[in-house]
Amino acid sequence: MTELRFRMSLYSSSALDRALEAFASLIDYERESRDEMEVIRLTARAGEDESWIAGEFANFVLGATVDGVDATRVEEA
Amino acid sequence: MSDNHQVHAESTEEGVVLRFEESIYPKDAVFGAAYTLLDRCFVHIDREDSKLLVKLRAKPGITLSADLLAGEFEAEALTQAWRRDIVRENQAWLESVTARALSGAAGPPGLDDLLEDDLGDLGDAFDDPLGIAVSWEEKYGKGEQADQPMKSSAAPSESSESSVPQESKPSSDEPEASDEQGEHS
Repeated sequence: MTELRFRMSLYSSSALDRALEAFASLIDYERESRDEMEVIRLTARAGEDESWIAGEFANFVLGATVDGVDATRVEEA
Repeated sequence: MSDNHQVHAESTEEGVVLRFEESIYPKDAVFGAAYTLLDRCFVHIDREDSKLLVKLRAKPGITLSADLLAGEFEAEALTQAWRRDIVRENQAWLESVTARALSGAAGPPGLDDLLEDDLGDLGDAFDDPLGIAVSWEEKYGKGEQADQPMKSSAAPSESSESSVPQESKPSSDEPEASDEQGEHS
């Protein structure tokens, strides 16, 4: 099991939701809110490289956060 | 990393950790810079006191150099911050151009739209000091209109005949010239 912590003052909550949805077929996970952190404990399904999937999951959340920030800016404009 | 740089890099067992004061670069710029590394690294951003931490773990088959990454990240964060400043400064202008382009794409205004437009004070825009807008009949009268073209057409023919010098008339001694003219016409 791999534990990832996302500080919600930096990452967006909707980005995390999108990542969990996108990776749903690859991982089993538990989600926990702790202070200002969202903790994701993920386990890769059989045959998947968990370290690689955890890294790509974190990248996805970062990318979705950036996309979300830009989308918000466009909507405001 | 030397102290001249605002981003400090540290190699760890897992990869590279970049550490810098959060007040130096806006959050958007940091995320934008981190975004450019996604193809080479697994990136995780966190905060420690007043500092931002960017943890980078190399993807399989990629070697990370802490110093190079710190320099690249610093340059990219600066670029991102500047880009966002430029966008912010030009936002009103961009919106104005876009709005005008969209209104142009909507087609020409209808008659109602034109009538509703307030043209303001047009001053002497419709004055006609040279009488250009006055019709021919109004200017010269109907009776004169019929005679005028005949006089004007007769006059040039007389004057042209008298004004043509004898030397310029084609003569029978110069058949080549007339042939050339015939060919050209």
